[in-house]
Amino acid sequence: MTELVVNNVQKWLGGLQILKGASFTASRGAIVALLGASGSGKTTLLRCIAGLEQPEFGYIRIGDKVALDSDKKIALAPEQRNIGLVFQSYALWPHRTVKENVGYGLKLRGVNAADAGVKVQTILDRMGLGHLADRYPSQLSGGQQQRVAICRALVYEPRVLLLDEPLSNLDAKLREEARYWIRKLILDLEICAILVTHDQTEALAAADHILLLKDGRIVQEGPPHDIYSNPNSFYAADFLGANNVARGNLTTLDGTRATIGGEGWSLDGTARELQGLAPAASAQAVIRVEQISVSDSPGPHRIEMQLDDSLYLGDRWEYRLRRGSFNVKAHGTRKLSPGAVWCEFPPESVWVFPASSQA
Amino acid sequence: MRMTIMRALAAGLLTAAASFGSAWAGGIPAGYPSSYADLVKAAKAEGAVSIYTSTDSAQAKALLEAFSAKYPGIKIEYNDLGTNGTYNRVISEAAAGQVGADVVWSSAMDLQMALATDNYIDLYVSPEAKALPAWASYKDMLYAATVEPIGMIYNTKALPEASVPKTRADLIKFLNDNRDTLRGKVATFDPEKSGSGFLHHTNDARATSTFWDLAKAFGAAGGRTYSSSGSMKETVVSGENVLAFNIIGSYALDWVKQSPNLGVAFGTDYTPAFSRVLAITKGAPHPNAAKLFIDFALSRDGQNALASNGLPSVRTDTDKGFNLATLNERVGGNLKPIALDEDLLEYMKPQVRVEFFKKWKASLAGS
Amino acid sequence: MATNVDNSPAVTSGSWVQPAARPPYLRRRLDAAPFRIGVIGTLAIAVLGPVGLIVYQSFLDGPFFSPRSQLSLDAYRYILSDPSFYEALGTTVLFAFGMVAVAVPLGSILAFLLTRTDIKAKKLLEILVLMPMFISSIVLAFGYTVAIGPSGFVSIFFRETIGFVPWNLYSLGGLIAIAGLSHVPHVYLYVSSAMRNLPSDLEEAARSTGAGIWRVSRDVTLPMVLPALVFAASLNILLGFETFGIPLVLGDPNGIMVLTTYIYKLTTLFGVPTYQLMAVVAMVLVLITLPLVYFQRRILRHSRRYAALGGKGGRTTSLKLGRGGQVLALSLIGLWLFVAVVLPIGGITLRAFVDAWGQGVNLMDHLTLANFDNLMSVPSLFRGILNTVLLSVVGGAIAVLIYLLVGLAGHRNTGLSNTVLDYIVLLPRALPGLVIGLAFFWVFLFVPLLTPLRPTLVSLFVAYVVVGLSYGLRLLQGTLIQVGPELEEAARTTGATLGRTWRDIVIPIVRPGLVGAWALIMIIFLREYATGVYLMSSGTEVIGSLMVSLLQTGAMDTIAALAFISILLTAGGLTLALRLGAKVHD
Repeated sequence: MTELVVNNVQKWLGGLQILKGASFTASRGAIVALLGASGSGKTTLLRCIAGLEQPEFGYIRIGDKVALDSDKKIALAPEQRNIGLVFQSYALWPHRTVKENVGYGLKLRGVNAADAGVKVQTILDRMGLGHLADRYPSQLSGGQQQRVAICRALVYEPRVLLLDEPLSNLDAKLREEARYWIRKLILDLEICAILVTHDQTEALAAADHILLLKDGRIVQEGPPHDIYSNPNSFYAADFLGANNVARGNLTTLDGTRATIGGEGWSLDGTARELQGLAPAASAQAVIRVEQISVSDSPGPHRIEMQLDDSLYLGDRWEYRLRRGSFNVKAHGTRKLSPGAVWCEFPPESVWVFPASSQA
Repeated sequence: MRMTIMRALAAGLLTAAASFGSAWAGGIPAGYPSSYADLVKAAKAEGAVSIYTSTDSAQAKALLEAFSAKYPGIKIEYNDLGTNGTYNRVISEAAAGQVGADVVWSSAMDLQMALATDNYIDLYVSPEAKALPAWASYKDMLYAATVEPIGMIYNTKALPEASVPKTRADLIKFLNDNRDTLRGKVATFDPEKSGSGFLHHTNDARATSTFWDLAKAFGAAGGRTYSSSGSMKETVVSGENVLAFNIIGSYALDWVKQSPNLGVAFGTDYTPAFSRVLAITKGAPHPNAAKLFIDFALSRDGQNALASNGLPSVRTDTDKGFNLATLNERVGGNLKPIALDEDLLEYMKPQVRVEFFKKWKASLAGS
Repeated sequence: MATNVDNSPAVTSGSWVQPAARPPYLRRRLDAAPFRIGVIGTLAIAVLGPVGLIVYQSFLDGPFFSPRSQLSLDAYRYILSDPSFYEALGTTVLFAFGMVAVAVPLGSILAFLLTRTDIKAKKLLEILVLMPMFISSIVLAFGYTVAIGPSGFVSIFFRETIGFVPWNLYSLGGLIAIAGLSHVPHVYLYVSSAMRNLPSDLEEAARSTGAGIWRVSRDVTLPMVLPALVFAASLNILLGFETFGIPLVLGDPNGIMVLTTYIYKLTTLFGVPTYQLMAVVAMVLVLITLPLVYFQRRILRHSRRYAALGGKGGRTTSLKLGRGGQVLALSLIGLWLFVAVVLPIGGITLRAFVDAWGQGVNLMDHLTLANFDNLMSVPSLFRGILNTVLLSVVGGAIAVLIYLLVGLAGHRNTGLSNTVLDYIVLLPRALPGLVIGLAFFWVFLFVPLLTPLRPTLVSLFVAYVVVGLSYGLRLLQGTLIQVGPELEEAARTTGATLGRTWRDIVIPIVRPGLVGAWALIMIIFLREYATGVYLMSSGTEVIGSLMVSLLQTGAMDTIAALAFISILLTAGGLTLALRLGAKVHD
């Protein structure tokens, strides 16, 4: 069931267009991640959905309510949209107890005090915060505050839950935990959730669907696996994962089979964006670090490279490899001594893009 | 004449008898018309009288209290606005059709005269008018309520009484002879900043031939000008100034009682005096109460109250403080009250005024 | 899971057309528009009405209410050809810049000592150094007359010990010194908050390269607090242009006149009111000060930005003064406090309890309580005290609520109404209180529905609110801005309307700030004197204006008693303010 429709939302800030026509839909029981670097417009888009920012153009529907329609001059205020928003800073009201923070949305909706009390206690218990109901936010840890913020946004069962970088203020361990339970919670409650993040791991792990934004535009969308393994632009390819970038010239192009090469090296690969790609034109290739394997003997798609050093990363080793102007990082399970090695680049993992590919 | 008084007296007694037991306990004073009881009744119905004035409430206290005691139902709204504040507010309110003042009582005789001739003042023949000298009223509109000599104060520690100048000519000579020792220690009103000072100086300029000599002598001694009598007193008492002239002598007569090092002197050849002038505004919200107040202020009781607060009576039949007669004696017999007549308007003309200021400044600058 | 990206150019390139420029598609939704526009509109009327009246009056040849008055430039012609005007203007400029020359260096040194060094008794000093700010300048002036006037007790002491008095209070230099010393807190406030925000690592870095402490102060600290210094200087110039009490009292004996006292003199000069001339001088003042105010707000905005950048500069290591340094610094501050606070307050207190003073007067013989008798027995004086308390305590509270409403109307607001707000706040700041009071007198006299309010405290209250607008609003805006925007947005997305958000979230959070603001506004109203001069009438007397009015007759005994009461009230207000935790430090 589609809970959120966003269609061609455009927003200007002064003369600058910061959203250039974003469109997507989202349904119950799934998490859509808005992923992008800072300045990509992901937070602005979220705020447009929440009604905290007002786009000049576009259409937004939340549940069965039209929240924005520039044709019909409709722009609902945030409080009319029946959404829940979890802020990066949690934005808990310092002068209210946990209970009062969480219960506020119910109070505003005219739920009587007794029912509200039960609901608040239920959700707090569920989040393991039951015993903290009478504390003030300043008396809570960061993780607890975050959970209170989520309770506050969920308790009145909004049509759409918006999460603005909800994990970025947690330390690394907590973040991984939170990632998991937030996802579980949303799936259990069958809520429609939009998650804004700059952290690809977070998006990949938590979301059902990822929208990758760049310069106010959605450059690619799809399920995490698809987005990760099927990027359709250099930006998308490079933004996700740990990557090696090879810059050189296109030597041959046959359908999607392409060869890119530079001073003393050449790689077979797959062209992922044809526009602007022509033989002899400059090109660039993205190769995920984990796709490169290092061995001590030649073979198909293997080239000889100079191993400069092996760095110990705890769970694995990182190799620093070089051939002419071509520098590569690869991983392996054991320490290798510096010297000549063979690196295998599977052609389907060498994604060739035109050098000018920006979008 | 005698008959009228007798008749009035009889009528008064009758009315008093008639109103015996009523709320009004005062009775109709001698010489008042028989209809006065109606006036009092109407005034009481109005319940208040609003006074715009330049007289400190502290100095009017005795008068106000006496009035309140006599007419307990009438509340006094006393607005001390200064001379210009009084005048400005009266004309602004008249223009707005929001007349707030019943009685205007100001020491700026010239401004009061301007109000009268510019049609801001109502006619009223006070039954007390007969007790006033002729110069003290103007066309049934303005009534002088006090007579206050203009004189000089000096610091007795800095200036022994024997060497205090006694006449105008003495003063000029004194200033010229002691130019260096007096440098920066002589004070008078700044006519630009003080309406009273302007009146005193311009009156001198009109009435004497030596005013400009005095101004020059003052300028040559590096004299300083102030905007109020009070601040001059403060400086003379403290020794900051040795003497101050053309100040309000009625205040000075009071001050010397408290300050041992303060002396007061009046010109034996010529002592001008100004008056605080009463009038009823046109369109006054409480016209009857206003009449009552003016009558009371001019009456023997009212004048005694004023004189007891240091504002000498313009009558001669009062027994508290100074009255016109005793004051004349005190200042050496040459008291010359400024008359309430249209000559006061001469210096209201901007041209003449500016001319005066120019000449004043030039004299002070020593040219 | 149905997600599509139907219009995204990356997928279906070409179907999406980017407009050339921002299209006027959807007008911004202004939250609580009726409220915001209503409040700002009302305020605009309250400010522009009186100000407009002054502008109009300046182009007439007589009082605006006189049927004979006509449009004319005569008033401008008169003023612009009056030598006294130029003299007053010149004096004002000298006065203002002189004040800056005294106050800015002293205030900066004070700020430096109290924020960057380990000076002793810092907590106490931080409060003490603000004292002069809270005393009305007219009270200060009276106090100085008694203390260091030609016959003041300190002067007499000097004359008796060294044979002469090495200063002249009534000279322009004397006026400047007094005004400068009493305006040191204004400089201190701004410079110290800038210095507090300075990260000390910059200084440490400079010192580690071998630069000496004074060199560091000059080369590192000074440039970084320069915006604050410039702001403080411009504020002082502004205050210098509008100062009234000090030249009114201390400039009188030697005929030293500044623009404000020149305006005041114009009431008397022609006998009849020359409102057009007063209006012209007010216009000149506005033309000089308005750019200054505008400039000032710009610096303030920029310096806020610097402060925000400095962000976590709270941790500062303080400079060790050493024993000699401590003594020197403390005596410097002590001397200043003695001159700026002890002398005038001592003077006025003394004067309030004697009936004569000066050369050869034994004060013991003249001790009296008689000066206070009048306060109790003369109704207008007693009322004046009551009214002042009422106006500052109750009026101050209502004023805070009004400033809060205005603050909220401008809170996170953009667009035209906010620009309007910005400018109408500037206007009253640029006009002397005396003139604003006069304009309000006219408004309450001539605007039909308002006339019944004129003889009530409401008229004074409205004028006070407008006079205190810029200060009060800044206080409130500063408090409101401390509420994180997400706290408000969280309420909105939770389902609260803007009004509800203000009521449930913003106002409860800023409540402590409001209480502090109330205490400060209370003090501002308590010390106000110029606004009521033309406006007050029987029943609406206030202490400050009573003193100005009494000065016309020179009833110094009463003035001293009133001034003493005023100081007591201010001290009470200040104690209350500190109790309530008002942030006197902006």
